[in-house]
Amino acid sequence: MTVTAHAPSAATTPQRADGVSRRKAQRAAKRRRNGAAGVLMAPFFVLLTLVFLIPVGTAAWLSFFSDDQPGLGFGAERTVFVGLRSYAAVLTDPTFLSGLGTVALYCLIYIPLMVIGSLALALLLDSGVVRLRSWAQLGLFLPHAVPGIIAALIWLYLYTPGISPVIEALGKADVTVDFLGLHTTLPSIVNIALWSNLGYNMVVFYAALQAVPREVLEAAVVDGAGPVRTALQVKAPLVRSSIVMVAMFTLIWALQLFTEPMLLHQSSQMINTRFSPSMYIYDAAFSRNNYSLAAAASVILLIITIAVSYGVTRWTNRVDSSEENAR
Amino acid sequence: MPGRPSRQSRRSVLAAITALPLTGALGACSDNGSASSQSNSSTSGTRGTTTITFWSALRGSQEVVDAFNKTHDHIQVAFEQIPSGTQGGYLKLSNAARAGNAPDVATIEYPQLPGFAIDGVARDITSMLGDGLRAKLLPQSLGQTTFENRTYSVPLDIEPMVMHYRKDLFGHFGFDVPTTWDEYAELARKVRRTGGGRRLATFPTDGMSQMASWCWQAGAQWFDTSKGAWNVSMADAPTRKVAAYWQRLIDEDLVYCNSQTARVYDAQIGNGLILTRLSGAWDAGAQMNARPEQKGKWRIAPLPQWTADRPSLGTHGGSTFAVTKDSTHPEAAMEFIEWQVSHPDALKARLSSGASSQYPAATELVEVGRAAFDRAYYGSQDIYRLFEEEAHKIRDGWVWGPRMTATGYVMQDAFARAGAGSGTLLDAMHAAQDGTMPDLKALGLSTTQHST
Repeated sequence: MTVTAHAPSAATTPQRADGVSRRKAQRAAKRRRNGAAGVLMAPFFVLLTLVFLIPVGTAAWLSFFSDDQPGLGFGAERTVFVGLRSYAAVLTDPTFLSGLGTVALYCLIYIPLMVIGSLALALLLDSGVVRLRSWAQLGLFLPHAVPGIIAALIWLYLYTPGISPVIEALGKADVTVDFLGLHTTLPSIVNIALWSNLGYNMVVFYAALQAVPREVLEAAVVDGAGPVRTALQVKAPLVRSSIVMVAMFTLIWALQLFTEPMLLHQSSQMINTRFSPSMYIYDAAFSRNNYSLAAAASVILLIITIAVSYGVTRWTNRVDSSEENAR
Repeated sequence: MPGRPSRQSRRSVLAAITALPLTGALGACSDNGSASSQSNSSTSGTRGTTTITFWSALRGSQEVVDAFNKTHDHIQVAFEQIPSGTQGGYLKLSNAARAGNAPDVATIEYPQLPGFAIDGVARDITSMLGDGLRAKLLPQSLGQTTFENRTYSVPLDIEPMVMHYRKDLFGHFGFDVPTTWDEYAELARKVRRTGGGRRLATFPTDGMSQMASWCWQAGAQWFDTSKGAWNVSMADAPTRKVAAYWQRLIDEDLVYCNSQTARVYDAQIGNGLILTRLSGAWDAGAQMNARPEQKGKWRIAPLPQWTADRPSLGTHGGSTFAVTKDSTHPEAAMEFIEWQVSHPDALKARLSSGASSQYPAATELVEVGRAAFDRAYYGSQDIYRLFEEEAHKIRDGWVWGPRMTATGYVMQDAFARAGAGSGTLLDAMHAAQDGTMPDLKALGLSTTQHST
């Protein structure tokens, strides 16, 4: 922009007028761009408001109010503002905290298994080792097409002693397994989630691997890298952003663990009605009729989810930039 | 890099959106109780007949309603059989109440009544409950439905806990029927030694109601409403005694330890692997219905006592009828309830289903029950005589908590863990109390906690 540079030295009127009109034109162009962006982004913000901000606002609102009766509670109800009372109740509830602990453990087991497993499968498919690649892909992806509730039902059938062919077969080989015992429920749930989502994430990685430039791979081969080394040290680092994305989505999904334990709860006493925070929320609302408690618990879960996702994003960004600086 | 911040915020937004379904679902569900739409009471003008709606999961209800409709012109009852409470019946009722279309008359078991009264689903019927009906009911039963001198439902039956035992196997092994808990434990050891792989009983890991009954008998008071607050003490001295007693039987492997809804429990009874069942009087009819092939093998005895000369008892099971807040014909609803709990024809109709052995809360019906009950299954034992003797031992003053189903779930979860070797029954009682307090506090109730 030359105008501003000249302005202090030569302050002549025509030049200034020229500058003003040019600025006006720029502003008009900017306005047009903003208008177009606004139109294009409007649907997003409308949906965001309808399906996210309003429900979250409702939940937050609910969490600050309660239908109270004084004393024993048998009098007439009236809705009162209770401040953070429901939040205090949730945070001092050992059953909620143990649910958080369960989900934390679940994440620690499930996320690494999921990311490493699906990446390994994608690398195998990409390397061309696997014959009938499209069939393998289809086979691995199909479980994802099964709705979560159906998947949980199928596995419930396979896990339940007395009707499960798997347990029967193992029993014939003198192996007794209780898939729904004290220490086996969490692995059993991880297994269902892996079965459902492995194929989907594998497709994400496979698509990312297709975008790796062939000349890079050729260069690696020329430099003497074998297939394993190429996969681990060339391909995997190049799909790093996909790995972060898959890990992030898996994490967010895992924090809301609900369908699988809810269904297995029918068959095992080791999975209680407040097994995960989401089940706690469901139980608080529909079995305990305690809506403000349920609302407070869901706001807390939302905050935890956002905080953890934000933390992971920040952390991976920092690792990214420090790596770039090192280069 | 200028691109960084925007990418990061976009990811955060994405993260936030993906995190939303749960919160959204809650917001949406909070005012969405209309899943069950039930036509409410209505008056058809032609003959002045009032139609009221009635929900129940109790066996034999259809027979009772048919008998009522046959003999009444001005009131007709539209009956709907609903799932039992924990199978979704209570969820259905509270959802309907939330949507404003609860039935005129609902069946609520004793443990859940305080919750439904606090939530305003069960109507305060103190002024509608006539002195005549009041006098007919066993005081211990009416005490269970009355809070702060206001009555919220009418008891149908009151079920003293009794001991169902295998007479044939007792005879075969030469066992005596135990009358005290010490004798019961001694017998458990004997059965383990000489019973051919059998056990005396099953500790129910899903048995909040059994545990409550044993503690009730021993003098526990999990909930107490004196001084205008819910005083909670689920690990008081009597409870500790009961928990230690059963813990010992479990530790010594003298009883099975599993859920009573599990397939394995069916096998334990069906194959004669357990010699006693400790449950309410109603269970005599349920057993008759479920296992006709064991006809003649079972008898019923009083529950063992802690001290034989000062007998005491708790109840196990039992139901009450409430008029809901949505009823537009509460007087008609009360008339139906009164007939149902106190008319001989009602009890006869219920027993005719062959699946019930309820012990009526209206004492004058006991003779009717005795005459109508088919004694063949129990080798012509006069079980109603026994129930009557036992019913008078029921200790007065027991109070169920405001969220008993939830309290029970927490307790049973810990029972199951204790059965699997993780923790003890007493831990379960502490867990149940700790998992209940936040709930009561969030409901805005006055609470205190005790441990004596």
